[in-house]
This record gives sequence, structure tokens and C-alpha cells, in this order.
Amino acid sequence: MQATLRVLRNLENEGVLQRFAIGGAIAATFYCEPLATFDLDVFVILPVTESGLISLAGLYAALRQRGYEEEGDCVVIEGIPVQFLPAYNALVEEALREAREQPFGEVSTRVLRAEHLLAIALQTGRPKDRERVRMLLEQAEIERPLLMEIVRRHGLEARWTAWTS
Amino acid sequence: MDELRPEIAALFRAKEARRLRLAKLPFPEKVRIVVELQKMVAPLLRQRGRTVRVWDFDAR
Repeated sequence: MQATLRVLRNLENEGVLQRFAIGGAIAATFYCEPLATFDLDVFVILPVTESGLISLAGLYAALRQRGYEEEGDCVVIEGIPVQFLPAYNALVEEALREAREQPFGEVSTRVLRAEHLLAIALQTGRPKDRERVRMLLEQAEIERPLLMEIVRRHGLEARWTAWTS
Repeated sequence: MDELRPEIAALFRAKEARRLRLAKLPFPEKVRIVVELQKMVAPLLRQRGRTVRVWDFDAR
């Protein structure tokens, strides 16, 4: 795992990525009990291409040069399938900007804040996201005023009310 | 609704307490548990035709 996180950090230092942070089930595991998952979800802000389009092509090419191959939707980096998710809306961009640095063994990585993870689950809206919201509310230390501000700012009040009342 | 028998309610409380204890473990220790969960689940998923890869936690 450390080797995978080191590769991500190097990609950021070299400008292949502008910024990355762990999201998904492993970010939830940071705050809650461990969850079974086989993918490491990594949210990324990518450099803008000449065409102005968001594309993972440059990132995948850089990884291929390092010997890391694609496997389904993921790239296997040092034995771990990593799914890269480009920041796709304002909430995810904000979550990436405000993600926290966290040590993992000898390397430093970045994990989305629990409040943003919860808001992204609300926005995504699948049954497993609803379960994630419940788990984060039960087990994570959530800054409620910050969470409610994020929920309001990104227009998630209706789902928050539906899922928590 | 039927009430839970006290000994069953105590079991549920203990399970909940265990979840909260697990949530407080250090992050690397929790990821190591995720890998152990993968080892348990992977054979079942492979039997159902899913391709899954158990993580190499110790790659440095």
C-alpha cells in the first residue's frame, strides 16, 4: 500500500496530476470500521488539456510508462487496483481542495474529509451510499456545522432530510 | 413490536461496541483488515465469475 501511495505522490510532484485524494470505501474506512472493497478510489484534479477536455489519457500513459497496466476500470499500481475519478463537479472539487494530509507508514497521503465523503454519498444517492451516510454519522467524528454548510451549499438538503429523518 | 430478550440486546450492544472499537484503530491497521476481508471474500466472488485481486498490502 505504501508503494502505491508513493507512486500517487510522485505523479502529483511531477505534475501528471494536480492533486489527488483517497475517496470511496477506503476513505470511509479511515473514519469508520473497515469495509470490504477491492478498488482504491482516488479522486484527481488533472492538468487542463489543450482542448479543454478532462481526460485520463495522459495519466494512464504516464502509468503505462512506469509499467502499470490497466485492469478493467482500474490501473494496478504496486499490486493495488486504483480507480481514478476526475473531479466531476463543484462538490468533488471542493472535497479535493480541502482533503487532509495523513501519514500512512513512511509516506504521506491525502484523504477526503468525512463531511465531504458524506456529502458525496448523499449526492451519489445509491443504496450503498445511504448505508455509508448512516455509518459515517454513527462512527465518524463529524463537524455538524461544516457538514450542514456543505449540504446547503451544494443543494443536498432534500436528500439529507429524506435519509436522516 | 416484540421486545428483544435482554441477553440478545446485550449481544447487539457488544457488536456495536466492537464496530466503534474497530473504527478507532489506526488507518494502516484498518487497511490490513480490509485485505484480510478481501482474502475471505475473493474465493466466493471468483466462483461467481468476478475477477478480483487481493491487495499487496506490504509492497513498500
